[in-house]
Amino acid sequence: MMFPTLRRPPEWLLLLMPAFFVIAAVILMPLVFSLYSSFTPYRLTKPDTLWKWIGTANYQKILTDGKFWAAFGRTILFLTIVLNLELLLGLAIALMISRVTRGQRTLRTILMFPMMFSPILVGFQFKFIFNDNIGLVNNALQSLGFTNAAAPWLVDAKLAMFSIMFAEIWMSTSIFAVLLLAGLFAMPQDPLEAAKVDGCTPWQSFRHITLPFLTPFIFIALTIRSLDVARAYDVVQIMTGGGPARRTELVWTLMSRTGYVDARMGIANAMGYVSILLSILFTLYFFRKLSAARAAIGMSD
Amino acid sequence: MTAVTLSGIVKRYGGLLAVAGVSLDIRDGEFVVLVGPSGCGKSTTLRMIAGLEEISEGEVLIGDRVVNALPPRERNVSMVFQNYALYPHMTVRENLGFSLKIAGADAATVAAAVDDAAAILALGDLLERRPAQLSGGQRQRVAMGRAIVRRPDVFLFDEPLSNLDAKLRSQMRVEIKKLHQKFGSTVVYVTHDQVEAMTLADRIVLMRDGVVVQVGTPLELFDFPADAFVATFIGSPPMNLVDGVVGEGDGGGEVIFADSSRLPVPVSARGGVSAGRRVLFGFRADSLMPRGHSVREEGDVVSLRLAVNLTEPLGTETLLFTEVGGAEVQGKMFNPRPVVAGEVLDFCLLLDRCHLFDAETSAAIRV
Amino acid sequence: MTAARAREKTRAERTHRRRRLALRLLHFAGLFVTMCVICLPGLWIVLNSFRPSVEILAKPPDWTPSFTLEHYRAMFGGAGEGGVPVFRYFRNSLVISLSSTVIAILIGMSGGYAFARYRFRAKNAYFVGLMLFRAVPGVALSLPLFIIFARVGIIDTHFGLILVYVAMNVPFTIWLTDGFFRQIPRELREAAEIDGCTKWQAFWRVEFPTARAGVASAAIFAFLTSWNEFALASQLTRSAESKTLPVGLLDFTAEFTINWGGMCALAVLMIVPALVLTFLVQKHLISGLTFGGVKG
Ligand SMILES: Nc1ncnc2c1ncn2[C@@H]1O[C@H](COP(=O)(O)OP(=O)(O)O)[C@@H](O)[C@H]1O
Ligand SMILES: [Mg+2]
Repeated sequence: MMFPTLRRPPEWLLLLMPAFFVIAAVILMPLVFSLYSSFTPYRLTKPDTLWKWIGTANYQKILTDGKFWAAFGRTILFLTIVLNLELLLGLAIALMISRVTRGQRTLRTILMFPMMFSPILVGFQFKFIFNDNIGLVNNALQSLGFTNAAAPWLVDAKLAMFSIMFAEIWMSTSIFAVLLLAGLFAMPQDPLEAAKVDGCTPWQSFRHITLPFLTPFIFIALTIRSLDVARAYDVVQIMTGGGPARRTELVWTLMSRTGYVDARMGIANAMGYVSILLSILFTLYFFRKLSAARAAIGMSD
Repeated sequence: MTAVTLSGIVKRYGGLLAVAGVSLDIRDGEFVVLVGPSGCGKSTTLRMIAGLEEISEGEVLIGDRVVNALPPRERNVSMVFQNYALYPHMTVRENLGFSLKIAGADAATVAAAVDDAAAILALGDLLERRPAQLSGGQRQRVAMGRAIVRRPDVFLFDEPLSNLDAKLRSQMRVEIKKLHQKFGSTVVYVTHDQVEAMTLADRIVLMRDGVVVQVGTPLELFDFPADAFVATFIGSPPMNLVDGVVGEGDGGGEVIFADSSRLPVPVSARGGVSAGRRVLFGFRADSLMPRGHSVREEGDVVSLRLAVNLTEPLGTETLLFTEVGGAEVQGKMFNPRPVVAGEVLDFCLLLDRCHLFDAETSAAIRV
Repeated sequence: MTAARAREKTRAERTHRRRRLALRLLHFAGLFVTMCVICLPGLWIVLNSFRPSVEILAKPPDWTPSFTLEHYRAMFGGAGEGGVPVFRYFRNSLVISLSSTVIAILIGMSGGYAFARYRFRAKNAYFVGLMLFRAVPGVALSLPLFIIFARVGIIDTHFGLILVYVAMNVPFTIWLTDGFFRQIPRELREAAEIDGCTKWQAFWRVEFPTARAGVASAAIFAFLTSWNEFALASQLTRSAESKTLPVGLLDFTAEFTINWGGMCALAVLMIVPALVLTFLVQKHLISGLTFGGVKG
């Protein structure tokens, strides 16, 4: 035949089509556009600037910008500390709850509480609680007589970082705890019993049996979590807005300020791309770890 | 009339040839069992009849319609799955009535058919339950009920009993047989269990590696296995096979074994082999019996003195493990008495019930 | 046995018992502190929504309990008295979240089904690729979306936000529904087809009802994401026509002052529907997350 015959596309492709289509329209297209505009000096106030190609000037500018690198470094530090603590605390909470005999369901339900909070609500909540004047924390400290001064929870550089990390951890530890708890419940008991018979100490059986079994669950949690790392933006934006004086500036707050307050869309989009790459790298990394962990305990199909 | 005809059907999964050209004529009302080791393509064959797998090559006819291109619902077949595949969100009643409801039958017809099927399978008390509330055996009955409600042209079974314990399995075997006698529909039944095949089948189709090895009635396969594979697959314990070479000798010649012992060529192959051919000498356990504990000692019989290595008492008979021609074989003692390991007994081997297979092709040698 | 040995044994037993008691106390204390940390902030918000403003702002702090509905009255009083049009926001949130959830579930379910039931080349790559789109930070997306939506003229409309939330929720819905459909044995649909169903009927009458609980929890997830989303909504909405509750929360903040009491009342309004929905499906939620993830 001279002409290739037009074949009906396979069913799986038809089924995936709507998903591809909507994602292409709403996410891919804007991303392409923002990639393009990151090579222009685009300012919202001067639409013409969209058509001026300036090559990688924006990227050069942000990559040589101390403020950007400070925010970038702070973001990495923030994520590293927060994710590790969330994982550790989540594991500890899951272990504690799994050993409870009565009221376990209630505890698990309470545990899911922070998962339903809007990040912006979490931000407001902790902005309120850490408020130096009327916040719960300072009020309590003062009333209990620990101090008369008002600790500047959201103003001092270190304390402010602590506060936003606390809020972030409060919001996201649940997902780790809940998933790891599910992992603990799914765990077969015979290997643990065998280990006990073989004379393992509780720590040894945790280290060599429980933990390896939990590994895929840990990576599920990390993967799901990594899809959403930028949620921290909402929290930080509300609590400190990156301030005061950039003391809590993260990539996301810097980008939104550059874009919306300074209206410098081109350069903001360049920053956006850095943040997108950051998220994607996190996600890809954990996905790979997840596949490896699944393969290691023979769960993949 | 709903005969089922397979002509040269083939199923490929990428490079893998799961079914490699199966041809079969299943008569109307016949109970055909596809049997073979797991992975030999039985289920795939059945699923091609059902319309659940596309047919790579060849044709399937139900009645006189070629059904290759028809979806399952237009083939008027019903199927019982190994794990029953009951609809978990429906009650037993709804499960049973589902196919009729889909077909647009009115409520009264559905109710009548469901009650009828429930009566046949004694499901009356379970109708309002959901599958999760049933035991394995009950689920199995519901699955059967679902299959009979529609009075299909052809019943397909894919290992329907393999998730049941031994006792339930033999009960259900009887029930399936009764159902077949009652309805007289055509049945294609897949199992890997040769006992099920022997007890249920009008005709057995024995498969291996995607091809049919032998087709015949249970007794044909038992008494005249086409090759060594059939001989070991059908019957329990499997047929004893001893490696040997045909030697010169008076009469029909004899088979010389690795340990230089020899036995006459079996009656069935006498005159059909020439000296020097490498063969497998086969006989079933119940053809090798200690004298005084046998079913027959006259006729074409050879006597052997053999030491018993191990015994397995089964009640009405005892399996004796011993050696013939350097290979471990099993014999059977009827009306058993206690035997200790190491005891030497006089055995008789029924030569007219022995078989000879070619060692290379494993095909049966018969004259 | 000598007396000394016996004494030693009882001493060993006693230290053992003591250690177990200490562990149990530690366990209990750990749980107690954890639960306090989880519950207190939310409780604080609820309590403050019932406290008069003067008391919230009192210095030194006033711990005596008192009760007022002033914030709720002001909130539901509407825009008239300098208040916030909460009803409008609530309705916007509801309409946007519900419609985007329904659409995302339909699209996501179809995709999840494709992953669960079909074999095709580079399946895993497609899957991860889709998930990566979920990973794109909302803030980063909001910049170009803002420009494009302004061009197309769907900024500050329900439609615009619904569209965004559908795209945002589809990947994760695919993840979840893939997991749920995989838990359903293939034979179920085959049995349905043999019983006379078309493919379409087999899905809607057998597979979908079987996965119903799972689909419901995927829907809750999508709903919560839309209900709680802020980064995009804050840029893509302008007026009471389309502002959602999270954006509305900002209405309680002025340049230098924050109406804490009013904010708390709105927060309660936001969290109650989310709470109710989540508790309804929490069991399936967890099984969906882990199954979809574990049985890759
Ligand atoms: N969907 C499939 N994809 C690839 N190979 C398959 C598929 N289904 C079955 N096979 C292969 O086809 C062969 C025959 O399978 P089957 O018919 O299920 O065997 P059985 O006789 O045990 O029922 C097996 O080797 C099996 O691995
Ligand atoms: Mg099979």
